[in-house]
Order: sequence, then C-alpha cells, then structure tokens
Amino acid sequence: MTLASSALPRKGAGTVSSAAARTARRRELLNWVAVHSLAIAAALFFLLPFVFVFLTSVMTDQQALTSDMWPHQWQWSNFGKVWSTPGFLTWWRNTLLYAGAGTLLTIVSSLPVAYALAKFRFRGRNLALMAVVSMMMLPPQVTVIPMYLFWAKQLHLTGSLWPLIIPMAFGDAFTIFLLRQFLLTIPKEYMEAARIDGCGELRTLLRVVLPMAKPAIAAVALFQFFYCWNDYFGPQIYSSENPGAWTLSYGLESFKGAHHTNWNLTMAATLLVMAPVIVLFFFAQRAFIEGVTLTGVKG
Amino acid sequence: MDITRRSRRPLAAVTTLACLGLLATACTGTNSGGGDDGSAAGKDVTITFWHGWSQDNEVKAINDNIAAFEKAHPNIHVKVVGNIADDKSEQALRAGGPDAPDVVSSFTTDNVGKFCSSHVWADLGPMLKKDGIDAAKTFPAAMLKYSQYQGNQCSLPLLGDAYGLYYNKTAFAAAGITAPPKTFSEFAEDAQKLTVADGDSYKQLGFMPNYHGYETAIAHYLGQYGTGYFGADGKSNIAGDPTVTAALTWQKSMVDKLGGFDKLEKFRTGFGDEFSAKNPFTTGQVAMSLDGEWRTASLADDKPAFEWATAPFPVPDDQAATYGRGYQTGTIVGVANGSKKQSAAWELVKYLTTDTDAVVSFANAIHNVPSTVAALNSPKLDADANFRTFIDIAKNPNSSTTPASINGGAYQVSLQNLSYDVESGKQTDLKAGLAATAKEIDDAVNQAK
Amino acid sequence: MALLSSTVPPALRSKRRRERARTLAFLSPWLIGFCVFFLYPLVSTVYFSFMKYDGFAPPTFTGLKNWDYVFTKYPFFWKGLGNTLWLVVVMVTLRVVFGLGIGLLITKVKSGAGFFRTAFYLPYLAPPVAATMAFAFLLNPGTGPVNHLLGEFGLPQPGWFTDPSWSKPALTLLAMWGIGDLMVIFMAALLDVPTEQYEAAELDGAGPFQRFRYVTLPSISPIVMFAVVTGVIQTMQYYTQAIVAGKVASGVIGGSGQQFEPGYPHGSTWTLPQMVYNLGFQRFDTGSACVVAVILFAISMAFTSILLRRKSGFMTED
Repeated sequence: MTLASSALPRKGAGTVSSAAARTARRRELLNWVAVHSLAIAAALFFLLPFVFVFLTSVMTDQQALTSDMWPHQWQWSNFGKVWSTPGFLTWWRNTLLYAGAGTLLTIVSSLPVAYALAKFRFRGRNLALMAVVSMMMLPPQVTVIPMYLFWAKQLHLTGSLWPLIIPMAFGDAFTIFLLRQFLLTIPKEYMEAARIDGCGELRTLLRVVLPMAKPAIAAVALFQFFYCWNDYFGPQIYSSENPGAWTLSYGLESFKGAHHTNWNLTMAATLLVMAPVIVLFFFAQRAFIEGVTLTGVKG
Repeated sequence: MDITRRSRRPLAAVTTLACLGLLATACTGTNSGGGDDGSAAGKDVTITFWHGWSQDNEVKAINDNIAAFEKAHPNIHVKVVGNIADDKSEQALRAGGPDAPDVVSSFTTDNVGKFCSSHVWADLGPMLKKDGIDAAKTFPAAMLKYSQYQGNQCSLPLLGDAYGLYYNKTAFAAAGITAPPKTFSEFAEDAQKLTVADGDSYKQLGFMPNYHGYETAIAHYLGQYGTGYFGADGKSNIAGDPTVTAALTWQKSMVDKLGGFDKLEKFRTGFGDEFSAKNPFTTGQVAMSLDGEWRTASLADDKPAFEWATAPFPVPDDQAATYGRGYQTGTIVGVANGSKKQSAAWELVKYLTTDTDAVVSFANAIHNVPSTVAALNSPKLDADANFRTFIDIAKNPNSSTTPASINGGAYQVSLQNLSYDVESGKQTDLKAGLAATAKEIDDAVNQAK
Repeated sequence: MALLSSTVPPALRSKRRRERARTLAFLSPWLIGFCVFFLYPLVSTVYFSFMKYDGFAPPTFTGLKNWDYVFTKYPFFWKGLGNTLWLVVVMVTLRVVFGLGIGLLITKVKSGAGFFRTAFYLPYLAPPVAATMAFAFLLNPGTGPVNHLLGEFGLPQPGWFTDPSWSKPALTLLAMWGIGDLMVIFMAALLDVPTEQYEAAELDGAGPFQRFRYVTLPSISPIVMFAVVTGVIQTMQYYTQAIVAGKVASGVIGGSGQQFEPGYPHGSTWTLPQMVYNLGFQRFDTGSACVVAVILFAISMAFTSILLRRKSGFMTED
C-alpha cells in the first residue's frame, strides 16, 4: 500500500484542511486501486490465451488432451518437430516472400499516388479520393471470381504467389489513403522551397518529402507486412491449388488437419506463426501505434 | 473549362479501353487432354498424383504403393502430392494450369456426380474396355455405383469404408446383455439398459444418437434403411419415401428415450476429439457406437480398459431380413480430363484400383476395406474377427450408399440441416419439413444443370 | 477557375499540360490498378451474375435465373444474411463499447501504463488463422482450459464453437480479444479532449458519469461513428475467423476430404463472404456466387457512402 500511495500525485498539503485532504486522498487511492484492478483483470483476459497456448505447445500430446494446465515435462522438441514438418519451411519462405515483396511494391507504387492526391491540384481529385476509399472498403470477395478467372484462365498464374504479389505493384488503397493523410500534415512551404531550388516533382518527393514521411512510411510498411503475413483469403483462392505455393496461414490450417488431435504440435505451430509478427511489433511499436492513430483520428 | 474537361478525357478513354479489353478476353475455353503420351511405347513420362492422405502411416502406405508401381513401370515416374482437399484439386483441374494433377483422388464419394457431369474427370469406361476389364465383375456393386454418375464411370473405388456397430463387451456383460442387438427395438432396449446416470449427466451412455455425435449423421442411419434419395425422374423423393420419415422418427425416439436432446447435447459437447484416444467409445463414455472400420485399428492401438467387439449395425424391425447391411462409402481415384498424359495416368489408376496385391497391401496398411471382389476374398488380407465384420458388410448385397448427384453432396447437407431441426425440436411438422427440403434439393439440382 | 481557354496565355497553357502529364504519371500505378483490380472485376461480376458458368465449360446466358435461385430457392442465403446481421448488431456494438472501455481504462492507468498498453494491444497482432486456432483450443468443450476453469467455479460449460447458439458469441469473444486497433484510436481521441472542459464540468459539480456523458462522449462521437461504420464494413468481409473456427471445430479440415458442413455448427457461422467462396469455389456455381458478390458490394457500398458523406475528414478544402 505504501508503494501504491507513493505513486499518487500529491496535492499541496498545506493549503487545504487536512481532513478534506485525507478524504480526497483516500478517494484517489480507492480510484487508483479500482483502475489498476480492472487493468490487471483486462491484462489477464488479453494475455492468458497466449500463456495457455504456450504451455500447451510444450506438453506431450497425451497431456494436451487433459485438463492439467501445467506441463508435466517440458517437451521443447515440439517446436523442432513442427519446424521439420514437410512443407513448413516452404510455407515460411513463401510467406516471407509474399510479405516482403508485397510491402516493398506497395510502398513504391503508393507513395507517388498519395503525394499527388495530397499535394497536386487537379480536377477530379476528390473523385479519385472517393474511389480510393471505395476500393479500401471493398470486400475482397466481391471481385474474387473475375479476378480468379483472370489469373487462372488468361495468365495461368494460379497456384503461385504471383496473383498475390503483382497487384501490389499497382497501389494499395489503404496505404495510399494513410500516406495521403500524413502528407497533408507536411506544410506546403517545404515543397515550395524545393521547387524554388529547381527540383522537379519527383525529386521533391524523393529529397524532401520522403525523409519527412519516414515514420508514416514505416507505419504503412508494417501494416502491409502484417496484412500479407496474416492474409488467408488470398492464398486460399490463388495459391492453394499448389502445395509448393502455400503460405503459413493456409498451411497452418492444413497442419491441424494432418495432426487431428496433436494440440501440442498445433499450438507450437500457431506460436511459430505468431512469433515474427510480435517480435516485429516490439521493435517498431511506436511507429505502429502512430499509424493506427492515423487511421482513425484523421478519418 | 475545356482544359480541365480535356484533361479528363484521355483518362476516361484509357480506363474504358482497358476495361473493354479485359472483358473481351474474359471468355474461356474447355481444356481437353490427350491420350497419346508415348508411355505405352516405353517413353519416359512423369505424372502428378494428388491425394488427401495426411497421417504419417497413410502417407507411407501410399508411397510404398507408388514405389511398387514405378518398379513395375520403369518409364513412368509419379510425383506425389498429399494432404489436398477435394475443392482444391477440383479448382486446379478446372483452372487447368500446367501444374494441375494427372491423377486425382477424393476421400468422399459425394462429388462424383460433379466430377463426371462437368467432365472435369475423364470417363474411364473406354479405357476399362480397351484393357478388357469387366467393372461389374471386378468391383463390389455398391462401390461401383458410388464411383459413377449416369453411366459415366469417371472414377474407380480405391479402398472403401463400411459402417457398423462397436460395442463394449464388458459393459454388455455388466448389463446382462449376451449378444449384440440385431433390430432397432433390441437396440433401443440395450441402449437404455447400458445407460448409467450420473446426476443430471451420464456415467455411461448406451448410445449417442444425436446427429453431431461424430459418425451418426442422417446419411449413415439411412444406410440401415437402404434409402434411395432420388426417384427415377431424378427428383428428390425424400418426402415420399417412408424410410426417411421412419429414420427421422426413430432417431428422435432414441433421443427421447435416452434423456432428451438438451441433456444428450450437453454430454456430447464434453466428448474428446473423434480421432484420438479421447473418443467417447474408447474412454467408455458410450457403450455402443456407429463407426467405420478404421476404428478397429485405433482401438487396437489405444487399448481401452474394456473388451470390445464389432457387429453389423442393427436394422429396422420391418427389415430384419436385411441384417448384415451397412452404409458404405470410400475413396475414389480418377484421371484428369485435361491431362496430356492420360495413358500413363490410366496405368497408375488401373494398378491402384485393380491389382489385387496392391489393393490388399494398401488395405492392410491403412485398415480400410479393400475395393475389389478379388481383394475382399484374398487370403493375404490380414483381418481379425472385428475387422472381418466390415468386410462382410462390404460384401453384403443390401449394403447401400449415398448416390452421386450433379451438385455433389449438397442434397445431403440439406437433409442434414433438416435433421438437426427435427432432433432439436425446431421443426415439428415432419411432412412439411421434408417437402420443403425436397424442393430445396430439386432447386439446387436444377440450378446446377 | 472560370477562366476561358481563349484568355489563357500559351505559356500557361503548356505549363498546365505539363502539370496534367505529371499528375497522370504520378497516379498511373493506381489508375491501372483501379481499372484492372476494381472496375473490371466489378463489371465482370455483374456480367457473370447473369451467366451459367461452372469454371470449365463455356459460359452461357441464363437471364435472371441465378438471381431467382439465390433469393427464392437458396435458404442458405437468408441464413447467411441473418448471421451477418447478428454480427453487425452484436459484435460491432460490443467491440465499440469494449474498445472505448479499454481506451478509457488505459488513459486512467498511472502505473505500468506501457505494460498494460502493450498487453492490451498484443492480441490484435495475432494472425487471424493462428488466433482462431488458439481460441478453438482454449474453448474446446471437452478438453479446453476455459471450460475446465468454468467447471472449477461451478459455472455452466457451453459448447462454444460446437454449439449453434454459442458459436457466434465465441467469435465475438475472439473479436473482442483483438480490440487493439480500436483501443489505440479511442485512446488518442480521449487524450485529445481538452482538459479545461473537464475542469469546467467538475466545477459545475458534474460527477464522473456526467462528465463522460456531457464532455467525453460529444467530443469523441465522430470517432465512435467512424469505429461503427468501419466495424460494419469489416463485418461484411468477416471470413477467415468464421471459416477456420467452423473447420477446426467440426474436425473437417485440410486434406481430410470429408464434406465440410459450411457454417458449422448448423450454419450458425455462415456469412455472406463464405457464401461467395462456397458457391464459387466449392459448388462451382459461378453465376450464383456473383449474385451474392453483387449484393455484398451493394451493402458495403451503402456503408462506405456514409463515410464518404462526412467529406471533411477526407477531402481537402484548399
């Protein structure tokens, strides 16, 4: 309790009568306790699933089916077993390729568009912006049938990662939208100064805007990477007909299919799919949270 | 003003042109394959085979099988890809890309109608004829039936599943039951005798009749009635067929006798996974179960703490003469219509489905029912008495299956949905429910035509 | 702006032409993407909704047959629409309320704020397939830890993903676990509420609830609105969690080859996007799948237009 109360902000003790100050402090203390108890309860809700998943992932497969929650013996080899499952490395590599190439292409193709929408004045700009928002909100299932036929029948590229990666070279609506929101906040004077120095628009973008937009670009890159990493629908439609082109999300599901009741292995695999995203988050936490804020507040 | 208007014009023109161009190319063609790949002349050919097996022992068994085939046909090489679901292989076949498989298998017979009628799978009839194989003499009747659609033999059976009764002998002895039940009324009586209450739940339940009780789907029950599902006109006859009404009513009566839907459902959701040692029959939670032949192998592995045995599942009292029958289904295999290497692909299919030694050794390895007459009678089949039950069910002329339909298993899903509504009491007017479901099935079939 | 072309000096005109070319060049990647991945498939989806096409044989025109089938003969359509509506009403509401609550909580926490923020945010990052798989295990009725704990406390143990009346609540629980996005948005909005307003309200004798009602809510209401509308649109795309939960809970996944009962258990997790997949890629009834896609498009467009109408957020005035 002493520890707790010492964390409380102290009010000027001398000016208020001591009895009133005591009630005020008691109320604040109660408040503090209530808030932090709630926070701890919420933290349990958010974190316990991870704990259970982790504990299960190191159990024996027999114990994973029982209600005992603490592993009798810590079977770390589960992770090795998952890692050496045929295909797991391929899924891993494919996911990295999809997420890596996808993110890179998205940024390169979206930044100029966002810049034009934020800083150029042209007729139809608002119309274009509305189109971007509409694309952003479109459920992928609406267009999936013609798109699948397009990739399958015209280009014969289904069963590979190309139908997932190539579209990223043509701008991603969400990325365009977020980058534009950020670019709006850069004062015009910077661009004008660059222009007076004789820079073309492309050079202005690369020399002046790009360095200033680094945090926003980092945020949208993370978003895009996570989107690709987590994507299930895209791989299910376009690449699943060739096991060599499966990604982790799709493979994880089939992993469960092949290991019906080995919950321990399934949970170990689940953790291995979650891990990179979470590690990446810890490295880039600030950029990420700023990015999320950008989606809501400016909208 | 006209400046800005002009500035938009090229943009609009480019957009329209691009879109029109894409639309124009959106028409599609049929892929047709070819037979002459030169494999018969000894040319080296590599074919791709997709299957759905994923458990280690199954994958090993199929790979051994393929290795034996490659040894017998040194010029044909097989690239095997496992753990592929039906819809994925079908998607690949329809897309017809270069990586599409030449030989495909499916665990379910539900989709045969779709495979055959769409000509995504090639008709094997001419190939059987060319090689002088009489399908009717080679394959058991029910199995032959579920691998064809309206005379188009676009697949062949590759091992089968038969459903029968598993019973806990120890519990039987404790309840004073001497022999497995043969009719539904005996069955109901035994199930009640075997049920031991535990507060508002069960210590031991005689039988789990609920449709979600793992293998107790309506289609499996209907196997005991020999229901045909479709009339001669191709329309659903479930509303007129008395066996469907009888089965739904019988199941409901079982549910009521054993404690009612809610109580049973609560017990059911506490069951462990079906394919694990926590299966409710293995744990002793239920004393009788309707299950497939593969369970004999896992029970042998799991060594439950009681004696168990198998028998044909009981039959309705008014069909007592048909005792010994059961529901049958199985894995099927076929050749892609779009394959350019059809003769090599057919060689593999022929080997897998008709070579007695291949069928027997595969059946032994994964504990499924063999799918040729010769293999069913083969002395090499290592079958103990419990497994023998299922071989006899497979041989039984009264055993039946769910027929192929142009839109796959959709009619079964429709009937299943009705069955859930009936057991939970949401649908009390059986006649109206069956009529609506029959219409739903016919509409779906029409839509697929 | 209303300059007539005749009055524009040639130098300015060529400058404008250059600007136009420049704008077009900057926009070009997206313009192509817009045509190929948005406009074309949209037109094409409408086109295919009037065709019979199984993805193999050449398509043929069938008029309104597919539309008639989906609306009058395909009971799963209404079931899916009903489920989607349920998710819109319950899941979106609970998520917004819970997100706001967690956002409020995090702004009040004084010790360990960084830890709590990360802890609350983390689940949002879990890939949906992995998160759903984890929940399917946690909520597994027979062997999962959640029901075990409930049993310890003598509470009822629902069937979760295996019980038609509990499967959508289980999905809602999963959605509330991943509340991180809304939490951050609400947190930022709450911190933006001017403190003077609170102080003024406190001087007027307003209690905490009144302060929330009369100060906090009005100033964050645009964000609440934004969260609701995007929540609805996300629900229109709700796919991965529902399909994976159904597959894992029914035990029919991957290569197991059995007929997966869509929307397991008993169609209770069956949603519009799954319908497009099921009709188009499992039943290969491309025409009917496109009918559902067009309907899905119409509904999400209606909600998107709510967002678009709030021009101030998107459009620039300069």
